[in-house]
Amino acid sequence: MTESLIKVEHQDHVMIVSLNRPDKRNAMTPTMLDELDAALKKTSASIRAIAIVGEGKTFCAGFDLKSCAADPSGETMRALLTGLSTVVRTMRAIPVPIVLGVHGAAVAGGCAMLGGADIVISDEHAKLGYPVVKIGVSPAVSAAFMLASISAGAVRNRLLDTELISGVEAKRIGLVHELVELPEQVRSRTIEIATQLAKKPGTGCIETKAWLNEIVSPMTDHAKQGLDASLSLTGSDEERQRLSALWG
Amino acid sequence: MTNATDAVLLDIQDKIATLTINRPEARNAMSIEILDGMHSAIDSLATSETSVLVITGAGKAFSAGMDLKAVLIELSGDASMGEQLLTSLAKLTLKIRKLHQVTVASVNGAAIGGGCGLTCVCDVTISHADAKLGFPEVDLGICPAVIAPWVVKKLGPGKARKAMLMGGIMSGQEAFEIGLVDQLAQDRNGLDELTKAVANRLAQGGQKALSATKNLLNEIDGSFDESLVLKGASLSARVLATPEAQASLAARLKR
Repeated sequence: MTESLIKVEHQDHVMIVSLNRPDKRNAMTPTMLDELDAALKKTSASIRAIAIVGEGKTFCAGFDLKSCAADPSGETMRALLTGLSTVVRTMRAIPVPIVLGVHGAAVAGGCAMLGGADIVISDEHAKLGYPVVKIGVSPAVSAAFMLASISAGAVRNRLLDTELISGVEAKRIGLVHELVELPEQVRSRTIEIATQLAKKPGTGCIETKAWLNEIVSPMTDHAKQGLDASLSLTGSDEERQRLSALWG
Repeated sequence: MTNATDAVLLDIQDKIATLTINRPEARNAMSIEILDGMHSAIDSLATSETSVLVITGAGKAFSAGMDLKAVLIELSGDASMGEQLLTSLAKLTLKIRKLHQVTVASVNGAAIGGGCGLTCVCDVTISHADAKLGFPEVDLGICPAVIAPWVVKKLGPGKARKAMLMGGIMSGQEAFEIGLVDQLAQDRNGLDELTKAVANRLAQGGQKALSATKNLLNEIDGSFDESLVLKGASLSARVLATPEAQASLAARLKR
């Protein structure tokens, strides 16, 4: 079996999905996002909650920019943006609740995944943010799901400002729901909460998640528009110059 | 003191009306009797000159939520009771949201499930550090859909998602930290003073200015979308009637 970029384990009716490219800080490739989407869609009826975590030192550093810089056609960037949008939409559409654990860092595409999660755990010193305008990329792809989660004022600030914020600040603005002190505690706490959710009786959780999705649908209906806005900039001179300045 | 029924008391002092849910022996759980009493009290305020309405509970609880005995079919023998109660609660929340008065939930003690939803529909929620608030519906296999639109408007969707999917109960202090409570007294005694101070301050505002502001906020956040709240009531009722939900309610009541 070839080494997969995603690791899937099952435990007490919980599916644990780990980003599994620790040597690259779990930087996303189009293949990783495809595998992630396929893994999430493969839930069986016995799965009552999902935990998403990362292997290695950080949750996720975002897109693999080196491969984007090496592909002047812009195809890699387009595949990443489309794959990310698909994964976040899949996370929302899956009936069972999703708990996501950020340890160390969730940057750019990594932070965008928070928009698909129902409950987010992080360590106090984790770094979170969307510093992609710096490289000429628009984070519009994440906007609809951020607006369906935190206040519109905080969304503007976070998507436009390239600063990374701490777990403590992320909890203050509602991007994170619960903090643990150390990065090493994130994985077990994330799985623990998913296990608690999996044990809730009957259909309450599933029906509540579906209903909340319906309540916020006026916002998430803009997801496709956001992806198109981000895609419209791929291959722009600004993006090419900034990417090659970083990786050229 | 005008008594709509003795289950719900309505007291009017100058510009401030106070509605007290008055079934302390049942922790002010929402029965048909309580809901009917609240409907008539709220209806009577539509033409009142008051500009502030404080909602609170008699005794130790604010409201323990839906009357579980009434919605347990094996006990009530009436499978339609759940839907009746939930629809009545949905209509009551829509009515409270539309009042021209600014509404203040003064959460004296437990505000659970539907009781906590009732605080979210109010314009301002005040409480004390030791109060207990939360949405434990999912812990019982039921679904807080009827009140979810108000919780989402109050907390924002992300925090509402966490609160309603995780279930459980939080302290007044924790509720204050996530924005479920807007102003917090240190303890139960301090809440009386805080309630007076907040109500008096609100009552100083021009009545027209207050109600125009409230009306605009209602328009912007979609509070007049009655169909969403009523659809939430039917969804809650559907989940409540499932065998799993009925079994876990029965187990809770026998405990």
